[in-house]
Amino acid sequence: MASTGAFRERLIGAWEEIRENLGRSVLQALGVLLGVAAVLGGFSISDSQRKRSAEMFVKMGGLDKLNVQPKAAIKDGRPTALQQANLGLRDADAISGEALQADAIQGVSRQKNTRSRVVSAYADQDRQVRGIGGDYIPTNGYGVAQGRGFSNTEMETGAPVVILGTEAANTFFPKGDALGQSLRIGDIPVTVIGTFQERVFRFREGQGNQFWWRNRIIAVPANLVQRRMNGDAYRRVDQVTFRIPDLNAMSGFAQQLKNLVKANHRLQDDFRLDDVAARVRRRQSQGDVYDIIFMLSGVLALVGGGIVNVNIQMASLKERVREVGVKMAIGASGREIFKGFMTEALLLTALGGFAGLFLGVGFSWIITKSIGIPLYMTPASFVWAYCMAAAFGFLFALYPAWKASRLSPMEALRYE
Amino acid sequence: MTPIIQTEALTKVYGANGAAVHALRGIDLTVEKGEFVALIGPSGSGKSTLMAILGCLDLPTVGTYTLDGRQVQGLSGGELARIRNEKVGFVFQSYNLLPRASIVRNVELPMLYAGVGRKERRERALALLEKVGIADKADKLPATLSGGQKQRVAVARALANNPALLLADEPTGALDSKTGAEVLDLFRELHQQGNTLLLVTHDPSIAALAQRRVEIRDGLIAVAEGVA
Ligand SMILES: Nc1ncnc2c1ncn2[C@@H]1O[C@H](COP(=O)(O)OP(=O)(O)O)[C@@H](O)[C@H]1O
Ligand SMILES: [Mg+2]
Repeated sequence: MASTGAFRERLIGAWEEIRENLGRSVLQALGVLLGVAAVLGGFSISDSQRKRSAEMFVKMGGLDKLNVQPKAAIKDGRPTALQQANLGLRDADAISGEALQADAIQGVSRQKNTRSRVVSAYADQDRQVRGIGGDYIPTNGYGVAQGRGFSNTEMETGAPVVILGTEAANTFFPKGDALGQSLRIGDIPVTVIGTFQERVFRFREGQGNQFWWRNRIIAVPANLVQRRMNGDAYRRVDQVTFRIPDLNAMSGFAQQLKNLVKANHRLQDDFRLDDVAARVRRRQSQGDVYDIIFMLSGVLALVGGGIVNVNIQMASLKERVREVGVKMAIGASGREIFKGFMTEALLLTALGGFAGLFLGVGFSWIITKSIGIPLYMTPASFVWAYCMAAAFGFLFALYPAWKASRLSPMEALRYE
Repeated sequence: MTPIIQTEALTKVYGANGAAVHALRGIDLTVEKGEFVALIGPSGSGKSTLMAILGCLDLPTVGTYTLDGRQVQGLSGGELARIRNEKVGFVFQSYNLLPRASIVRNVELPMLYAGVGRKERRERALALLEKVGIADKADKLPATLSGGQKQRVAVARALANNPALLLADEPTGALDSKTGAEVLDLFRELHQQGNTLLLVTHDPSIAALAQRRVEIRDGLIAVAEGVA
């Protein structure tokens, strides 16, 4: 008999055995089913979270950023002479930093902020004013909705122009006609040349807008702040951001930059580097812990299911041993018995696993729905969950099958 | 012509040392093709032990056994299974049908192990059920049958692969005398068709149906009578 034919026979035989022993079989399959559902559920919940995080980072303007900021001001006591003589973070740092790895760096932006009284015909508030330079708008995920962005000349000369976030526009020009209007920042009249698109992101459905504060932005050229509002002779800035899409180049660059800026600052560590991607990676590695927990709970479910299976097999041992005895008496070899047990177990695993995938989808759907994030499942999760179930089904089938195959026909027939 | 069964000094010891039970203590038995032999003896004399060895369900501790020209000692478990499958048909006192498999599948099973194709298996199983007179029960489960009917199924199953030897260990022990007699009629018929039969019983009236009676006492052949 051809071996494929033999396998087919065995498969049909196993199917018949399953049908003949339905109660036992259903219980066996149930263990696998729950295990697969748990593993798949775990995978897809963490995938969904991860996907949502990725969406958030895209909306934030990307992760590929290295921020350089001055260290926090000395709060207690008086600054030392050296600290007073400190040069601080300057435009020059941005320029020499960019020169370090000009080809890896895709963008540099500066910030020079100030707090000031902002007055329009409709409102008079104390607000933060953000002086921006370089590629600030795209690297921070802003887009111009109405009007235009700053021209190079305006950036260079520090022209009195402003772009407003939606909240700022609504506050200072509630009639919606901000464009072209005039606003006073401190003593300086500035003209609204554009408004930003509204920034909205909710990690979970029903949550508040996590990006609401980004809509409060009042952006002017950094040079305007520096020259006419809050500047000093050293042209100090509040933040320099380098954009480096190649995240592998980032850490090397960070080290070089650190040395360079330190040398520029009379060997003072008066600045700090903040690698956004690294920060996110750290946070994600905390997320990985959840992955592992989900995965473990799935594996535990599978192990539990496997143990239940072994127990069921052992509980039905008496009956099964008699059956094995009869089969051996009419000509089944130990090998045949082993293959029969294994085929049956694998078929049950396959069927239970298949049903488990459906249950897992339902399970994931319910959980992501209740958390309020969109469900995201990858084919790899299905494959993994299924393969794990198959592996466990195989593993836990081995022992009873081996036991059964080693019975002597006489012992088995006499078994009480 | 080679005999179907030929044993020399068959010995079977269960257990070891102090707890050892000498179930067989040197059995020399020859059964020719086409014979109908009754194996008699009191309970515990070793009849079932002998039947198990003759049916290759168990191996002797010492001694040689040749079944249909083939030496049995030293064969692997797989080879023994094959012999049980092809050469021996076993009928037990307690029927030993698979309780959740249909009647026809019970009869098909030995053919499955022999590698007979699906269709042929089904045809032959149905023909055998016809032969033992319960073709109408093919799709029933064993539990729905009477004792006599179950034993007929067991006989049909034993005949499935056309064995060289039919072994029956007290096949009527669990049946009332009327159905027992019917089953015995079936055995007689099988004998007339040329099958070789070895039947264990402790009922002299049943033993009387056989051509030859072999009596076992304490693991030894005590009296052998009848046509050899
Ligand atoms: N598996 C076994 N282990 C130990 N002793 C056994 C076993 N099987 C049978 N015996 C003993 O061997 C002897 C013969 O038993 P058996 O062949 O069943 O006798 P019979 O069928 O003639 O009643 C008895 O004393 C029985 O107790
Ligand atoms: Mg007995």
